[in-house]
Amino acid sequence: MNLFLKGGEVASENTAPARADVWIENGRIKAVGADLAEPEGARVVDVSGKIVMPGMFDAHVHFREPGGEHKETILDGSEAAINGGITGVVMMPNTSPSIDSATVVKRVLDAAKECRIPVLTSGCITVGRKGHEMAGIDGMKKAGVLMLTDDGDAVPDAALLKRAMEYGSEFGMFFASHCEEPQLAGPRALNEGAVSYRLGIEGTPALAEEISMSRDLALAHATGATLHIQHVSTAIGMEQIKWWRDERGAKVSGEVSPHHLMFTDEDIGDYDTHYKMNPPLRTAEANVALLEGLKNGAFRIIATDHAPHTEFEKSRAFEDAPNGISGLDTALVSLFDRFIDKGEFGWDLIVKRYSAEPRRMMELEVAEVAEGKIVDLIVFDPNGETTFTKEFMKSKSSNTPFLNKTLKGSVEMVVLGDEVLLER
Amino acid sequence: MARKDFLDIVSLDREEIIQLLDQAEPFKDLFTRSVKKVPALKGKTVLMLFYEPSTRTLSSFEVAAKRLSADVTTFDVPSSSVTKGESVRDTIDTLQAMRADYIVVRHGLSGQPAAIARQTGASVINAGDGAHAHPTQALLDAFTLREKFPEMEGKRVLITGDILHSRVARSTSTILRKLGVKVAFLGPGSLVPKTASPEIPRFTNYDQAIREFGPDAVYLLRIQKERMAAPFFPSDREYHNLYGITDERLRQLAGQGTYIMHPGPINRGVELCDAVLDYDRCLISQQVENGIAARMSVLYGLKPQTS
Repeated sequence: MNLFLKGGEVASENTAPARADVWIENGRIKAVGADLAEPEGARVVDVSGKIVMPGMFDAHVHFREPGGEHKETILDGSEAAINGGITGVVMMPNTSPSIDSATVVKRVLDAAKECRIPVLTSGCITVGRKGHEMAGIDGMKKAGVLMLTDDGDAVPDAALLKRAMEYGSEFGMFFASHCEEPQLAGPRALNEGAVSYRLGIEGTPALAEEISMSRDLALAHATGATLHIQHVSTAIGMEQIKWWRDERGAKVSGEVSPHHLMFTDEDIGDYDTHYKMNPPLRTAEANVALLEGLKNGAFRIIATDHAPHTEFEKSRAFEDAPNGISGLDTALVSLFDRFIDKGEFGWDLIVKRYSAEPRRMMELEVAEVAEGKIVDLIVFDPNGETTFTKEFMKSKSSNTPFLNKTLKGSVEMVVLGDEVLLER
Repeated sequence: MARKDFLDIVSLDREEIIQLLDQAEPFKDLFTRSVKKVPALKGKTVLMLFYEPSTRTLSSFEVAAKRLSADVTTFDVPSSSVTKGESVRDTIDTLQAMRADYIVVRHGLSGQPAAIARQTGASVINAGDGAHAHPTQALLDAFTLREKFPEMEGKRVLITGDILHSRVARSTSTILRKLGVKVAFLGPGSLVPKTASPEIPRFTNYDQAIREFGPDAVYLLRIQKERMAAPFFPSDREYHNLYGITDERLRQLAGQGTYIMHPGPINRGVELCDAVLDYDRCLISQQVENGIAARMSVLYGLKPQTS
């Protein structure tokens, strides 16, 4: 393949987008620069006015294979990622059976070979995510797992988590925590506050996350383990990560999901399950605090917590409907529509927090639009728009608040190695 | 324009509420006649779908529907396909095929009646969902209070007990406030959420509530057995001492001419002592009687979208 992307704005994690042509040949970037001569024999694509940047990387996705293929297979999920400009993902292990052994890891990574982008997986901390015994860490490591998490639940036994951190860290593994004190969390349907009172459903207080997080951060500090806090939804939670990292030198980081930056529990309205996820949507003040944290570096990465569920499952009564929203198709466009287009932050932040840092966290080579690099890039049209119809979405499930809504921005092209994965 | 469903009080405006109350009056007059029936719903089918056990509300709806000459069927949930794992959505499809015109739903999950209402053309009446709403209870409470205070504006009702888990507290406080009645909440700190409403005064001390709020009626909520097991407060005895209507408190309320209301079923020795039942300003029996008239008014006022 010989491709010449002409007249675009090339974005990186450290600089604002700058005008440059990009010449791609045989899976590598041959040259990047302003006003390059059009190479002979190359297919020229005019991308003027569009952003050319590295592919995104999502370190928190729930593909439902094995066990929940009616919601999403690994292949469906990877295609949803491509549709959203994402060229690599890390699966969470709460499948059925759980990804808690070398056998299941191999089964999952085998299925992932069909995909057109790298699909990695995390592994469980405890067998079956039940919180009783340690999962087979050595075997999972050898099968290719780097991140250990019981995502979906906190590890209830602090002593077990401490020992797992002491044990697993020796294998070069890092830990990721879903922080939630189970007794306080209750039925886990929505935030505790005026909305939970109005709807008559027991809420999950912010406290459930804050307390659990403080335990896990202290454990990481004490054991020297590397700990990543998943889907932070509270300002106090975020402040704790910063404090342990900056004041105590703990090897800890945090992630924020697009929906926790954009929506509040008020959006639930009259029991709209498209706004039901765990951790729950909180308040407008939390939105502001988390956005500020994303800008000032409190969060290392953005991740969707992509959680597909069928229309039927989501049509149940609010308390009975499963938690989670589908996010891969919509993440980048929604972040552009809500924040970049409104001047809240620049493209450099997105590249850093949704492409470079998650790859560093997973010890992968960082994708860059730079001479000599392997091609891993997307073209984004800030003047385009996207309507998230069921047909548009490649996820098998369309449980998103953006369903049938039109947002500014459009992922126009995804190129990985020697292959154009998407071109609109 | 007539509504299809009756799901909560929040979405009703003052005029609609007053119309429902006015409409209930002639139905109540009917009860003293030898023939207590009108043919308003003749040929219509009313289906009772109670996912939670209920005797009072279920019978009240049955009597109300029968006095309107409707055909009434009770879907026996505990021995039905529901216990075999059928989803609510699939059950409703089945009931749709039976062409019910009205479905009266009680469910343990908040919002379930609204979800059913979206699925069916039948009129759905919420007979209580989770801790969310119990709108016909609210209507009968307002009706009962209006009988005593035809000018309700400015009257004061102190709702006492487990506000946190009570759908009655939510719906009754809402309807009363829409009618200009002042409402306050009283109960243990663990059961009166601070997030409830900034406009509703919150008390955790009985004497202070009576002194400062000066209620015209005290509305007692049932303390549910399962709450006594969960540690929301130390014991039912302590609850009775702190918040229950004891003989002494009853004498004080009688001296002030304060009415007592309760949605039932009551727990003697917990939220009230035996003597309350003989108190001449205890409105519990009137509430039950008015419940039938209020529910007739609701059924009569709805417009099913069934052919």
